[in-house]
Amino acid sequence: MIEKYNHVFIESFGVTDADLKNLEYQGVKAWDSVGHMAMVSELEDTFDIEMDIEDIIEISSYEKGKEILGRYGIKL
Amino acid sequence: MEHPELNNLDIVEIQKYQCNRSPMLFIDKITRAKPGEFAIGYKNFTYNEWFFPQHYPDDPNVPGFVIVEAMVQVFLMTFLTIPQYKGERTNFVKIHDVAFRSKITPGDQLALEARLFKFKRGIAHGQVEGQINGNIACEGTFTVAVPSTLNKYKPKG
Repeated sequence: MIEKYNHVFIESFGVTDADLKNLEYQGVKAWDSVGHMAMVSELEDTFDIEMDIEDIIEISSYEKGKEILGRYGIKL
Repeated sequence: MEHPELNNLDIVEIQKYQCNRSPMLFIDKITRAKPGEFAIGYKNFTYNEWFFPQHYPDDPNVPGFVIVEAMVQVFLMTFLTIPQYKGERTNFVKIHDVAFRSKITPGDQLALEARLFKFKRGIAHGQVEGQINGNIACEGTFTVAVPSTLNKYKPKG
C-alpha cells in the first residue's frame, strides 16, 4: 500500500524516494496549486476514494497525506 | 447537473463565455455546445489576418501557435458554458500530442470539435480535432486550469 502511495508523489512531483519524508507543499517547484490537484486526483484514482475539500486542503505534506488517507480507511 | 445545449453562438456571445479578445480570439462561431461535454465551432481565415503578411510573404499560412489557440478556445467552450464558470479566466497546464496534419492558408475554414474528458475542481482535460474540407488538419489533447477554482483547493500556508 505504501508503495502505491509513494508512487503517486514520485510521479506527480518528479522526486525520489529519499525526498519523500520531508516533502511539503511548495517545497519543490512541481508541487504548486496545479501539481496539488493532479496529485490529489492521482490519489483518488489509486485508492478509489473521493476526498472532501477540507481534506484536500489539509494535505500540505507527504506525511500529512498519510494521516488524511487514514480517514478513508487507508492504512499506510 | 445537466445543462441545455447551446446553438449558434456568435462572436458577441462567445466573448461572454471566455476572456480571449481580438487579435487573440480565434473562433468565429460555436455552432453547438453541450456544457460539460462538447463544443463544435469554426474559424474562417482570410488574408486580412494580422499574421499572414509576415508568416510568410511568399507562402501565407496559419502559424502553429494560432492553430493551438483556436483548438483550445473551442475546448474552453466545453466547460466555460457551465453557468458557474461563464467568463472565468483560464491557464494552460499541459499540451499533449499536438499534431499538424496540413497547412492552413487564406480562405480556409477550420472546423473544430472539442470533447471534454474530465472536469474536476478547476482542471479540464480533453481533446480537439480540426478539419479543413473534411480532412483532419490538426489535433491535440489539452489540460487547462481555472485558477479561481483551483485556488480554493490549495493547502493553506
